[in-house]
Amino acid sequence: MDFSLTEEQEMFRGHIRKMLDKFGGTQLAREMIDNNPENLKKVYTTLAELGCSGINIPEEYDGMDLDALDLVPTFEEMGRSLVPGLFMETSALVVPTLKKYATEEQKQQYLPAVASGEKLVSFAALEPFNDFSPAGIQCTLVQQDGQYVLNGTKTLVPEAELADAFLILVRTNQEDQEDGLSLVLIDKTEGMNIEKLSSFDESKHVAKIEFNNLVIKEDQIIGEVDKGWMQLQEGLLYFNAALSSYIVGAMESVVNMATEYAKIREQFGQAIGRFQAIKHSIVNMKVNLEIARSLSHYANWVVDTDEFDREAAVYSARTYATEKFIEVSAHNIQIHGGIGITEEIDCHLFVKRARYYDQYLGSTPFYQEKVVSSLGW
Amino acid sequence: MDFSFTKKEEKFRIELRTWLEANLPEGWLEGKRDLPEDLDEYSRVLRAWQNKLYEGGWAAIAWPKEYGGRNASLMEEIIYHQEMVRVKAPPLINYIGIHMVGPTLIDIGTDEQKERYLKKILTGEEIWCQGYSEPGAGSDLTGLKTRAVKDGDRWLINGQKVWTSFGHVADKCFLLTRTSTHPEKKHRGITVFMMDMHQPGVETFPIVQMDGHKDFNEVYMTDAGATDADIVGQVDSGWHVLIALMLHERTGIGAELFTLEKQFNDTVELAQQYKVNGKPLIENPLVRQKLANFYARVRGSLLNYYKNLTTTIKNGQPGAETSIDKLVVTELNQALSAFAVEIQGHQGVLFDKDAAADPKWQHLFLASFGQTIGGGTSEVQRNTIGERVLGLPKDMGR
Repeated sequence: MDFSLTEEQEMFRGHIRKMLDKFGGTQLAREMIDNNPENLKKVYTTLAELGCSGINIPEEYDGMDLDALDLVPTFEEMGRSLVPGLFMETSALVVPTLKKYATEEQKQQYLPAVASGEKLVSFAALEPFNDFSPAGIQCTLVQQDGQYVLNGTKTLVPEAELADAFLILVRTNQEDQEDGLSLVLIDKTEGMNIEKLSSFDESKHVAKIEFNNLVIKEDQIIGEVDKGWMQLQEGLLYFNAALSSYIVGAMESVVNMATEYAKIREQFGQAIGRFQAIKHSIVNMKVNLEIARSLSHYANWVVDTDEFDREAAVYSARTYATEKFIEVSAHNIQIHGGIGITEEIDCHLFVKRARYYDQYLGSTPFYQEKVVSSLGW
Repeated sequence: MDFSFTKKEEKFRIELRTWLEANLPEGWLEGKRDLPEDLDEYSRVLRAWQNKLYEGGWAAIAWPKEYGGRNASLMEEIIYHQEMVRVKAPPLINYIGIHMVGPTLIDIGTDEQKERYLKKILTGEEIWCQGYSEPGAGSDLTGLKTRAVKDGDRWLINGQKVWTSFGHVADKCFLLTRTSTHPEKKHRGITVFMMDMHQPGVETFPIVQMDGHKDFNEVYMTDAGATDADIVGQVDSGWHVLIALMLHERTGIGAELFTLEKQFNDTVELAQQYKVNGKPLIENPLVRQKLANFYARVRGSLLNYYKNLTTTIKNGQPGAETSIDKLVVTELNQALSAFAVEIQGHQGVLFDKDAAADPKWQHLFLASFGQTIGGGTSEVQRNTIGERVLGLPKDMGR
């Protein structure tokens, strides 16, 4: 038995960390607040040069044909610096979905372009005043005169302005709720009305997209029509395994911030980290981090196997990580005291991102139910 | 990352499983697992079980072969615990002798001490207890006041120990005493004696716990005797002996985690059996959420243990981060047993013969409070993690 990442994986982590530190770590997130994605684009180019964007893409599509576990160092390091953008959606949601369900032509069209870093894909699922469930998907894709027409509105679409293409969950059948959805993959076109939304996590850009009679070709539908929700579940497994890694990286930053601050901040003539009220709070954060890390490493290993607990492991990693990310980022502010609530210190960036991811593509109860039902309970 | 077992490890598992199936007390596997209430009878049955383990070569698998062990690897110890939990094997009455005293003597004992004690630890002929805590020395063990004073060629021991597990059945005590006073460095001046429990100067009194069990004892020493040959290590260097001893307790938390995992699966079954308003409780969304939450925590703790075990195997010794495992398993045990009582509704308070489900739930619940205290309180564990893992400054007074 060996439950650890390999030396190669840890070495790779070192490269990514060095690169992201050169760009100032969380500075990248702060630049997004100022609507300046120039350095972020450079980071993405470098990630592609390092081979990150092709890690889980088969060799015949110019990738490295490695496993989800090989992406873990990349996601953890990106989380550590709260790097925004579409790397996770592209590599961990779109790529696994295409690998499993797309036609050869669709794979040829997208996978090499993702591997080279040329294409970043965003995901549009949620709709205004609806939830992330089959019934909540009302955008329609209707066949008219031998072509498909897309109508409706998507909201909270991440980094739409940086996306080269979109994977969109649409309704193709009104009769059946779950078996009436399809996934379409389209390049960004003029026909989409993209409007940036205001979110309190300003370092993570989200947009509303309106589709008015946008014409879609049949070969832009991924896999079988009406089977989009089922196909998406496969992508969600990989995405949530990746998300748990990203959050583990972010939690590690938070625990480090709290620990280092408690060592240097003095009150009553001593470092506040000497007080058990502070010390034990940070220890609880650390314990949550380590449990989340263990769950997420296992999730990223099991997702490429057919073990019986594949789904339960991934979804429990996701719910544990999102829940504890909220908790530790809040404690971090409390430990910092007054300075913790300022814009100047990074604490708030983490609290806001924790809230962003908590409900992203499904809530905690949504995934808890998946854990229990996947175990047959 | 690799969760498989080697062929050698699998062979070890099969060998143990086969032996257990052939040698467990009659009816044990079928569920006849009651142990005698009467203390003497209880002790007799468990000594016999220990002796059976010894004869089969399963009493102390981690000990070197030359002392009667199997030189087992850490993974083999893990498998050993998994198999013992699987069959709910009877408790090891000489746990302290096998896992703590024996390995410490092998490590730093004299040849005479090894010759005198090791075999009897293995066979169960001599049961061991530990004399650590005192009324005035709990988390701060250096506050111990039991004194050992040299009188001619004998040592005279006076004082009181408390929370002594197995004290009522023990033949020998691994006893921490104060032999000199150093107000500034209180961990100095402590000496470890191997004290005979069967002598006029030693009296034990059981402590009745909140669950009615008598797992612990008070031990009073009034001019109890010992000799130089009974000292482990050097006079006044007992603190180092204690630290050496603690390093030998390598996989106990693993055993607790495997048990916890089993309790969790049983809790799921309980939720499937119980009905509320005519429907199985497990269909209730709030219960499902809680089960999912426990699943994540139980799996996370077990995986984290495997992570730390991997590090231990690679480095040859456990790091401070293993304190996380102890903290997590005991607090989770407490939360899970409370949940198991809670889902039984008002009937959750019914005890023993009147219990609505398996009476083990009420016992687990009542016993769970001691787990976050014994073996280092949760607060002490948090200090250790804070100071030794995170590098935070030591708190006042230490």
